[in-house]
Amino acid sequence: MDFLAYPAYGLYLLLILAGGLGAVLAQSLVRALMGLILTLFGVAGMYLLMSAPFLAFMQILIYVGAVSVLIFFAIMLTRPSDGGEAGQEGSRGLGRIVLGVIAGLAPVAILAWAVVKKSPTDLPLKPEASLASLGQYLTGPYALAFELISVALLAAMAGAVLLGFERRRPR
Amino acid sequence: MTPLTLFHLAALLLLGLGIVGIVSRRSLVGMLISVELMLNGAGLALVASARLTPAVDELGQLGALLVMGLAAAEATLVLAIILVVARRLGSSETARVSELKG
Repeated sequence: MDFLAYPAYGLYLLLILAGGLGAVLAQSLVRALMGLILTLFGVAGMYLLMSAPFLAFMQILIYVGAVSVLIFFAIMLTRPSDGGEAGQEGSRGLGRIVLGVIAGLAPVAILAWAVVKKSPTDLPLKPEASLASLGQYLTGPYALAFELISVALLAAMAGAVLLGFERRRPR
Repeated sequence: MTPLTLFHLAALLLLGLGIVGIVSRRSLVGMLISVELMLNGAGLALVASARLTPAVDELGQLGALLVMGLAAAEATLVLAIILVVARRLGSSETARVSELKG
């Protein structure tokens, strides 16, 4: 069944590429969000391809289920700037995108060189990590990180509520 | 190319798209979308490195899970910040939310 892995990889890469281009280039923010969701599904497929199904489902649960809904709220709750339709971004020239490409070129090129040149020799895929062992690691070596992230989530939520209750100030 | 290299290149693609987006977007929400793209690339690279090298598998996978949790917290906070900025300054476009003249 090994020969099926490469077409599957190509399919997921296509999902990531199409979604990512949509997320970066779309004029409408709602369409950009749809592109982001497509990319998230592509990444979830890549997790499945690496036989990490727990992460794939967490990806769909957390990102597609929660984060994208949050971003949708952010789009809907901010007013359009100059009387345009809701969720539309002002037009940006090609110049800004070229600037972005120039900014991204150096880090991506250096990292790509490192990835291609320094990649270790091929290894057979390890057996799938069981959910039980994942849980053991979460309460063992990662116990502190686990607790800290719960504190961070609590702080973020409390901060968001506090910011949300702010009164409208006259300017 | 080994599978590890292929997965890392996919993660790099996400990083590059995110950088292009965060530089070229004009609204804060668009920049948030680009940040999520980059964070996804980070998670993908982490999991690929954990699954396809002799490293401890669970540590990498749980690291990616922690990245997802932080991304959720970050999105919550950024949503609140965008709302406050939009309420105070009347816009969430980066060029308009400057109070200084010049």
